[in-house]
Amino acid sequence: MLASPGDDPILDRDVRLAVYRKIVEKGRPPTPPEMAVGLGIETLDVEASIQRLADGHVLVLAPGTPYIWMANPFSAIPTPFEVEVGDRLYFGNCIWDALGISACLHADAHIRTYCPDCSEPLSLDVRDGELEATSEGVVHFAVPAAHWWDDIGST
Amino acid sequence: MLLFRSEEHVTRWTEKRRAPIGATFTPQQVWQLATAWYGDRLSPNWRRRTPEEARIVFEGIGLTGPFWEPA
Repeated sequence: MLASPGDDPILDRDVRLAVYRKIVEKGRPPTPPEMAVGLGIETLDVEASIQRLADGHVLVLAPGTPYIWMANPFSAIPTPFEVEVGDRLYFGNCIWDALGISACLHADAHIRTYCPDCSEPLSLDVRDGELEATSEGVVHFAVPAAHWWDDIGST
Repeated sequence: MLLFRSEEHVTRWTEKRRAPIGATFTPQQVWQLATAWYGDRLSPNWRRRTPEEARIVFEGIGLTGPFWEPA
């Protein structure tokens, strides 16, 4: 059953699923008008739903817009965390999210990034649900969990 | 959350930028976190975890202490 305006929890679920479906299929999130057509509702109702999801820290919007910046673990913009899954290329918001893309798709992945200090390329590989044992490097979390959403762009 | 070559590179990078020292983890730990945190993200019934639920996820993979205390 699809949602109708005024049915916020179901509408928000459908909008969230539409966002992820598009990202998984196309590597980018849908725009509000695209979702409105797909869900058979008004663009304004989609935008209101997106804002509720952003307020609830389910999505992150590009500042001052109704456009999706992050549907974690996916980034709508290119980042230094490239995730190859089959013939698809996705971008994570950070190295945790890059691994999260493999985790949420339950798929093998080749992740490319680089050391922020020396710019040397680094990669991680997930095969059959396991991170390959040869994985090198150290993951740095700058911000404690309690403050992740203080400034999610820099977290 | 960034991947560095080694602890030495983390230290140099944070000192140069006067960035928070934070905490470091192995890629295996972060993979465990990724599977626990994101494994169900595409489920229709997914919802954001409460702080208590987040704490349980962190504790389940050995991430405890003030750094992992959810808001």
